[in-house]
Amino acid sequence: MSDNIQNLQKSLSERLPQCSVKIRKHGGVELNSSKENLVGVLAHLREHFGYRHLSHISCVDWLEQNQFELVYILWNYESRIQLFVKVRLARENGSGISIRHLWPQADTYEREIAEMYGLPFDGNENPRELILEDWDAMPPMRRDFDTRAYSKEAFYDRPGREDAKDVRSVISGRSGEEIPEIAIPYTRK
Amino acid sequence: MEMNDKDTLTIVEHIKNFARRHSLFVLAYGTGCGAIEVPPTMTSRYDAERFGIVGRATPRQADVLLITGYLSVKTLKRVIRTYEQMQNPKYVIGFGSCTINGGMYWDSYNTIKVLDQYMPVDVYINGCMPRPESVISGFIKLQQLIKAGKADGWKKYQENLDWYRTNQKKVIKNWNMPDYNW
Repeated sequence: MSDNIQNLQKSLSERLPQCSVKIRKHGGVELNSSKENLVGVLAHLREHFGYRHLSHISCVDWLEQNQFELVYILWNYESRIQLFVKVRLARENGSGISIRHLWPQADTYEREIAEMYGLPFDGNENPRELILEDWDAMPPMRRDFDTRAYSKEAFYDRPGREDAKDVRSVISGRSGEEIPEIAIPYTRK
Repeated sequence: MEMNDKDTLTIVEHIKNFARRHSLFVLAYGTGCGAIEVPPTMTSRYDAERFGIVGRATPRQADVLLITGYLSVKTLKRVIRTYEQMQNPKYVIGFGSCTINGGMYWDSYNTIKVLDQYMPVDVYINGCMPRPESVISGFIKLQQLIKAGKADGWKKYQENLDWYRTNQKKVIKNWNMPDYNW
């Protein structure tokens, strides 16, 4: 298996010199592409490396670097090696490129990312809502979206929960019993 | 509720309530994880049919609406629509801590926290999730309330419809549902 991965890395570096290829510690091969090359790289992998199956498109929010990272997870049925194709995009006013013409199921993932991260895809304009309905605030999976503040503002709270005391300390205060030492690090201050 | 001059239930209401509490038709609808507690309640081990609790397929045939867990805003819209289609008298049972105070979804951006702000709830069953024993005990509590003539959430809904509508429209942005009037 490790032989196969070494060979794959070697042939990928030869065939796709514009991408950096490395072997992941926990299995699989990682391939970093630029946005311009992405569709070509994916099509090449599909046609010539046997990566016929798109498992998932995932999105990572790198807030500090002001970037989104899309991870295309591909699977080869013959060699049984997973391939991660990564591409970095601008976080503000950036856009991905739709690959619906390569894999029709990419549409679902692109809709989800457009909805949850607010990242549009060229070639997949105005996608329909997938999970949320009539959402008009910041896309909720962005890291700077404060879910607690939003829920406090949007929904009602049952009175008596706002102090958010730790259950353990309330019970121990009532019954006079001491909190065991092992539980102290997990007790809310 | 028809009351006589001594402010107690009339004999006709007693007879009606007797019939109502012994034939609680439950709408076969579930949200969240509590829906998984309903099949064991209905089947042979706990056998809720002893108490006259039977499942029904459509809202028009049902008396009881079970809210079995968290409600996302998207589901709330469908639940309100379902509730308004049910025939009077109708009762709502809220399962688990999610419907009471949000439960483990208390800081979620997409689930409501307090169900009785949006629709009248007759009985709450606590637990996360309540076991079939608690579910049956909740139904018995509902039967007692019906017997005493206190399970009148559906009346409150009609009387305070504006208040409920305001709350509902606060979370449901695009209100494109028919307005029922009774």
